[in-house]
Amino acid sequence: MITPALEIRGLVKTFGAHRAVDDIDLTVHSGTFHGIVGPNGAGKSTTIGMAVGLVTPDAGEIRILGHDALRDRGLTRALTGVLPDGLDFPERLTGAELLRYSAGLRGLHRVAATERAAELIEVLGLAKGAGTPLADCSTGTRKKLGLAQALLHAPRLLVLDEPFEAVDPVSAATIRRVLRRFVGGGGTCVLSTHSMLLVEQMCDEVTVIHQGRVAAAGPVAEVAAGGSLEERFVELVGADASGSAGLDWLTEAR
Amino acid sequence: MSAQPHAAQAGTLHTIAVPARMRAAMLRRSLREHPGPTVAGLAGLLAAVWLIRYALRGDQHTLALLVGAWVLGWIVLPLLLGGGRGRVRPAHLRLEPIGGVPAATGLLAASAIGIGPAVSLVALAALPVHAARHGLAAVLVAAVGAVLLWLLGLIGSAIALEIVGHAGGPAGALLTGILTGTAMGVAGSLWAVFPWVSILLVGAPDRVVRAMGYVPSAWPVAAASGPSGQGVRLMATLVGVVALCAAAYLLLVRRVITMGVPFRPRGTTPFPLVRRDGDEPAARRATTAASPAGVGRPERGWRAWVPAATRAVAGREVRAWMRHPLRLQYLAFAVVYGALLAGLPLLSDVYLLLPWAGSLAVLGAAAMSAGLVGLDGTALWLPLTTPGGERAEVRGRALAWLALVTPIGVLLAVVGVLLAPDVDPLAALSTLPALLGAGAAVPVWVSLLRVRPVADPRHPTSADNPTDVVSVLVATGSGLVAAAPVLALVIWGPPEVAPLLPLVGLLSGAAACWGGIWLADERLTRRGTDVLAAAGQRSRPPETVLPLTWDAGWYRENTATAWALGLLTVGWIPVIPQGVMPLAFGIDSGWIVAGHLSGSAHTAVGLAMVGLGVAMLLTGLVLWDRRPRPGRS
Repeated sequence: MITPALEIRGLVKTFGAHRAVDDIDLTVHSGTFHGIVGPNGAGKSTTIGMAVGLVTPDAGEIRILGHDALRDRGLTRALTGVLPDGLDFPERLTGAELLRYSAGLRGLHRVAATERAAELIEVLGLAKGAGTPLADCSTGTRKKLGLAQALLHAPRLLVLDEPFEAVDPVSAATIRRVLRRFVGGGGTCVLSTHSMLLVEQMCDEVTVIHQGRVAAAGPVAEVAAGGSLEERFVELVGADASGSAGLDWLTEAR
Repeated sequence: MSAQPHAAQAGTLHTIAVPARMRAAMLRRSLREHPGPTVAGLAGLLAAVWLIRYALRGDQHTLALLVGAWVLGWIVLPLLLGGGRGRVRPAHLRLEPIGGVPAATGLLAASAIGIGPAVSLVALAALPVHAARHGLAAVLVAAVGAVLLWLLGLIGSAIALEIVGHAGGPAGALLTGILTGTAMGVAGSLWAVFPWVSILLVGAPDRVVRAMGYVPSAWPVAAASGPSGQGVRLMATLVGVVALCAAAYLLLVRRVITMGVPFRPRGTTPFPLVRRDGDEPAARRATTAASPAGVGRPERGWRAWVPAATRAVAGREVRAWMRHPLRLQYLAFAVVYGALLAGLPLLSDVYLLLPWAGSLAVLGAAAMSAGLVGLDGTALWLPLTTPGGERAEVRGRALAWLALVTPIGVLLAVVGVLLAPDVDPLAALSTLPALLGAGAAVPVWVSLLRVRPVADPRHPTSADNPTDVVSVLVATGSGLVAAAPVLALVIWGPPEVAPLLPLVGLLSGAAACWGGIWLADERLTRRGTDVLAAAGQRSRPPETVLPLTWDAGWYRENTATAWALGLLTVGWIPVIPQGVMPLAFGIDSGWIVAGHLSGSAHTAVGLAMVGLGVAMLLTGLVLWDRRPRPGRS
């Protein structure tokens, strides 16, 4: 049996009186694309943060490629590439300097780091961002630079939180191709997103999180249950997709 | 036939008046909402009245110096105090169909509306008042000169705010650091500055008189009181300087409104990305998810001694020190503060502190580095997702600090020693490594312990300075503790131990550095996620509102806060004048208790005073930290 790339059991996290993650189990198989979806505040980012060591869980187990992520932190960090959402970068560095810094942190040799950074900058269309301080980069450029630093050390597990947010369609298509090649080469990619279309197009499996719990998990087609993933998602989280009633003043013929 | 030019003229005048009307509306609102500008205006008016009173009988050159300082302050102070808020800026006119000259004129007219320009005009009236002793013609010449100086201040302030104040760039940061360092340095050396100021107010020394010949603020009175040929030449030069500044402002405004980009100093260099054709990228040789390439090749030379991850963090830190406005401000502050604390006593012919310039600057730099983690926001996630990232983060920060501050400290110490050849520099030079060791590591631990995140890590300004007084005091205290063995041996040790002092300083510094790194390692390794969460807490609890007038009810309800304020204010008296001054400098004036004793009783009382003061200050800090705050349970 192949070891799962990410295995989470009984994960719990409480902030004050709010239980953000409530006994979540999650299995991501090696060599697959795995989507994590859920409404705002469902606990996706907290779950991902705990998986990569940016949030300390109150309870539960996390295994990355068979290693205990809470005990063998050094090893699991070496195997993982991370793109968190909403966190700062070293804002005074240019995009290229960020990549050099990240490569240095990972212990990559200078020559290899320079060549990898140059390739990533070329492929992801980051020529302008490479020479601009991160503080002055657009949100989309920051996302692409964050993705580049996550890929730089050729990890075996990529954990990406909202990787396509504010990224232009051309760059998004490039990123999708890069990620498909990564998974094709034996890597595993976990991404959280609000785009059901993206999950349907890219992911092999999906986990729907709602109110800190897993509402559904499995192959995308199985979770969608014959319909579209978006309709199934709305049904799973029990939301009333409003918008059909009211606003007559807006729609009446002029 | 002449109707069209008239209409065009009226249109231009109307356009010019628009920014002035905008500014007037902003000022009205500002005055209604905040009492600050009115209070500052009243204080400025008092200073202006004092200046006019001094002009009646005072020295011509000292008056010119004071007027020059006033105009310079008008240009510079808004940069420090956030005076750019509420100003009409060239960028506001970017979408308007307006030319460069009308825009610049309108913007200057808008700048002239405010409390600062009005008070400055009153202050500059000191020049014609002083010239009255030379007759009516002299009054007129000095009045024209005063108006020209006023225009110089107005245009200079507008240029400074546009280029420096809004960019938040290196120049503004350095300027802010230099000014705050100067203010604090002078405040810390009042005992040496006061006698010199007294001499200056009676009559400027010859060297000041000679230097003032090149300062524009001296020209109006010199033109009014000197020969007519010289007067014409001086006034023409002053007009030329004002015209030059106006032309520079016009160019700046035109650049902003036509090109659509505000001036922003560039401080970054692109990364070399060019790959030679035909080269096989090393990364491509083995860049698969299964086998990361390029890791772990051995380094040569000094690089072999420092792990790659630590070097990466140190490189990031050095760049941040060079580019981050608040870090530059801190560094400039430390250098100026240290240099002035050691150098200003020269005004009273005291050379004793000169060799300590380096040590004082290093101590200042350590104090100002006690909140650096908060400046970086949540960027700490990168080392926290990297193998061994915590250790690299701590060591890299310490290494970068040492690399930056050591040359500054050594240079200032050497200059100080050279300028004071008769002062024994051994004590000062021996404390330097101790202070450097403590300053490199302890502030890293303190800033991980008490994270005060800046509101906007991407574009911070001086107004966002998150410096925390407790962190600053702990960082300063650690430096003093590290330097204590050397100071103890200097004060109480036998003369034979003098050659060992540098070694003692070096060992103390190494121990402090090791201790600081150990504490910071522990903190980041065990509580890294907590530190990251604290760095992400951007919303601050509401500050305690202190009553500006006596409010017995408030003091009854906030006894602990009142005690904290009292202890933090009074606690310095036993430490500095009653303790350090008699112990370290042998100053024993009438009200210093230890001064009335001799021998071991003198030392014991001095030490007891230091202990008492430190206890008072620490109690004050604890009480202040635990004060009840609105909205906090």
